[in-house]
Amino acid sequence: MSVRLTSLALVRGLIGYFVGFAAGMLLVMAARLMLGMEAWEQEAVYVGGIVLAILSFLLASGAMTDWLKWTRGIATPMRHGPPPGQPSWARYFGIDYNHKVIGIQYGVTALLLLMVGGTLALIFRVELAEPSLSFMSLDSYNVVFSLHGWVALASILLGVGAMANYLVPLMIGAEDMAFPRLNAFAYWINVPAALTLMLAIFVGGWDSGWTAYPPLSLRGAVGYQFMFWAIFGIGLSSILGSLNLIATILLMRPKGMALFRMPIFCWAVLATSLIQLTATQFIGIDFLMMSFERSLGMPFFNPIMVEGVNMGGQPLLHQHLFWFYSHPAVYVFVLPGLGIISELLPVFARKPLFGYRWIALSSLAIALVGFLVWGHHMFTSGYGEYLRVAFMISTLLVAVPTGVKFFSWLGTLWGGRLTFPTPMLFTLGAISVFLIGGLSGPVLATVTTDLYLHDTYFVVGHFHATIFGGFVFPFFAAIYYWYPKITGRMYNETLGKWHFWIMTPAFWVMSIGQMSVGVLGMRRHIADYDPALQIATGQLWVTIAGFFIAFSVLLMIYNLFSSAEIGALAGNNPWRSRSPEWQIPSPAPEHSYASPIRVVGEPYDYGLAGSQYIAMAGAGDD
Amino acid sequence: MAVATKSLHGAVAAHDDHAGHEDYATRLRLNRLGMWLFFISEAFLFGALLATRFYLWGDTRPELDQMVGLIVTSVLLLSSASMYVADTAAEHGQWRVFSVAAWTTMILGLVFFLGVVIFEWGLFPQIYEGHLTPWGDKYGAVVFAMTGMHALHVLSGIVLIFIMWRLARKKHFTPEKHWGIEAAAIYWHYVDLVWIFFYPALYLIGTAHH
Amino acid sequence: MGHYSTGIIIILVLAALTVVEFYVALATHSAVFLLLIAALKAILVIWFFMHVKRLWSAEGGH
Ligand code: HEM
Ligand SMILES: [Cu+2]
Repeated sequence: MSVRLTSLALVRGLIGYFVGFAAGMLLVMAARLMLGMEAWEQEAVYVGGIVLAILSFLLASGAMTDWLKWTRGIATPMRHGPPPGQPSWARYFGIDYNHKVIGIQYGVTALLLLMVGGTLALIFRVELAEPSLSFMSLDSYNVVFSLHGWVALASILLGVGAMANYLVPLMIGAEDMAFPRLNAFAYWINVPAALTLMLAIFVGGWDSGWTAYPPLSLRGAVGYQFMFWAIFGIGLSSILGSLNLIATILLMRPKGMALFRMPIFCWAVLATSLIQLTATQFIGIDFLMMSFERSLGMPFFNPIMVEGVNMGGQPLLHQHLFWFYSHPAVYVFVLPGLGIISELLPVFARKPLFGYRWIALSSLAIALVGFLVWGHHMFTSGYGEYLRVAFMISTLLVAVPTGVKFFSWLGTLWGGRLTFPTPMLFTLGAISVFLIGGLSGPVLATVTTDLYLHDTYFVVGHFHATIFGGFVFPFFAAIYYWYPKITGRMYNETLGKWHFWIMTPAFWVMSIGQMSVGVLGMRRHIADYDPALQIATGQLWVTIAGFFIAFSVLLMIYNLFSSAEIGALAGNNPWRSRSPEWQIPSPAPEHSYASPIRVVGEPYDYGLAGSQYIAMAGAGDD
Repeated sequence: MAVATKSLHGAVAAHDDHAGHEDYATRLRLNRLGMWLFFISEAFLFGALLATRFYLWGDTRPELDQMVGLIVTSVLLLSSASMYVADTAAEHGQWRVFSVAAWTTMILGLVFFLGVVIFEWGLFPQIYEGHLTPWGDKYGAVVFAMTGMHALHVLSGIVLIFIMWRLARKKHFTPEKHWGIEAAAIYWHYVDLVWIFFYPALYLIGTAHH
Repeated sequence: MGHYSTGIIIILVLAALTVVEFYVALATHSAVFLLLIAALKAILVIWFFMHVKRLWSAEGGH
């Protein structure tokens, strides 16, 4: 079947984006002329372009069409299945309301962004492989690692969205999310936002890293504006998506599924969503204020001294607002992944999950305590001395619920009948990597050691290990594990194992390498280093390990593509899981559940004779 | 299995008998929860602005026209009353009352908005000479940020009420089914709620800075 | 008038609290009292105008 390109929402949206960009710029210039100002002022003009571009994308793609009809009283029936007269792949480029399609859209976009972010990392890692500047300038180095940071974080947020959107309704036996149109909208706003983020490099990018501390972020290139608004858009997606997930989890569970009988991943998503729903507003308004300070000169962050009194803003205000989001956000990155670990271990150990309630509550505890620790990023900022100890103690407290999870995982593995297909390997790899990252946390949370380690590569090692252990490894585990549910076919196990056995040791090398060059004096965010530090060998190892990781990820991408065509048929429940989504056909049908399910037992009673989790009308006829 | 379900990638599936049939009451529960989750989220947005105000101003505040503050606050309060009447009228099918109350709310909302723009912002110096500018100092910046974000919500609230008024005129709602009106009403009250905190934060707390 | 009486009473209370607030501010610059009054007003709005109760009970004429 052939497809008219403009029938694809993505294409329409992109056209709308660029038309809107031009229109927005012209509009601001016209307004400035009318007010008697000079037409061109890059900050204001570009902001006008960006805002109208994102809006036009959403309008032109059709992500808001149904709502606009509602305002005129026109009813819009739910759409099911691919758009009429189009091939089935077309729906993935369109505004589709099915959460399984939206989950895949999130996932593919996340993988794309992951590859872009990874490529950027390889570029500046080559620069760092040996002392002295080789092929980058100081400026281009700053811009590239900054872009790497936000692109990678965007990829993580979308990856989290992928898992949550695809899995939560399936796991609770719901037809779809609570608000399917909102769900589609929340996905699609990421597309123009991510585009805006990457377009920033054409106007000089931004050079502060992802944290955007003023005064630098108030003075650098206009690329900052692109970044601020892009993150605002992605943040809006977080807020709307999490709202949807919370409503779905709270109100759409089937009969018998008390909160403590949900699949454990849903608990992780609930905790994550509570953070996203609330904390995200802080970075949103923070970046808006930053944008307005740049374009209108509103002094929120820049001090203005008048006769010894500060009549302007304060740079530290940004750090507070930013970290009040961005610390909780690190739990957004990892809680779903930790949920995946808890979800998969019982399946591959054929044993009940150890301490279900404790795990569920530890997710909530991490999310809540996570709101009280943001100051640990500011030990060296010069804020009130007394705050240091308070934030140190609250931070060390978070280690407790995190430890609970580790013990539960060990308890689940203990005495299990373990098998090691690729998803299980990645789950175990995740635990090992998260352990490295987790143990480096308290070292940074202790004021005395952090004063030495702050802004060194040790921090870089710390957060890459936590994020890979808490997100990337579990995300890959999830991709392999649910691949048969999504495609109906099995991935290539040999390639999967290659992927794992290349990536995991390489990651250990990278992590340990980053941390040790950091302890030896390598500063983060710096393009060059003194050979006298004797870290050149370590740096080289980190770079080489990075290339190994990148190569192994390519193996996975190849595996995913090729197995979709030639992989062996997987059957409905290749892992012998008890979870509801495996009791229906693979690939999952358009309407997942032919009839409502009922929960009649505990979710993780693997190996207990006669135990049953759910009952379905028509079950048992396989 | 009886139902013709094809895979996601395949053809259109049968529409009838699956897990997803919901009635109006279920949808209403979801909508209400969704709306309140949105309010919780927005509370953090306005909370961040309040935090900014206390961080930058401490126990000082700008010298604002107290009369203006009291008047716009009263206008907004009155609009909450008329919105309450509109909502309750819809519940009882008194559509004439609804219509009058909805328009009263919109007009009061507009008066509030103009009050902010003309008297707090001084956008029209021919009418009223304001002395704050957004770029002047931290007082101007924060006043404009807080009132600006709030005014944006007032405006969207007015648009929302207008949409619902038009739909009501087309006999779109019944006393049993009028979620749209309820949503507009609680949104409006929420905007008022925010002002309940913004008013003292801007006008009353702290000593005026000269 | 019957349907609307609750709303009218609440509005009068809110108006009274606003006046109190204004005069408290003349007497003291402390934020505590003012924020307490604001919180009280907020609770009234949330309970009577926004019908928060409908979240957990199916009231509301439906
Ligand atoms: C749960 C997984 C975790 C993730 C995803 C994570 C993530 C991060 C990230 C991204 C940063 C760097 C922020 C920047 O760019 O400056 C960071 C720094 C930090 N982390 Fe973690 N972290 C985790 C766990 C922990 C734990 C358990 C602790 C302490 C008990 C901790 C303590 C710290 C401290 C104190 C810093 C600041 C270091 C500095 O800048 O001097 N983290 N973390
Ligand atoms: Cu942190």
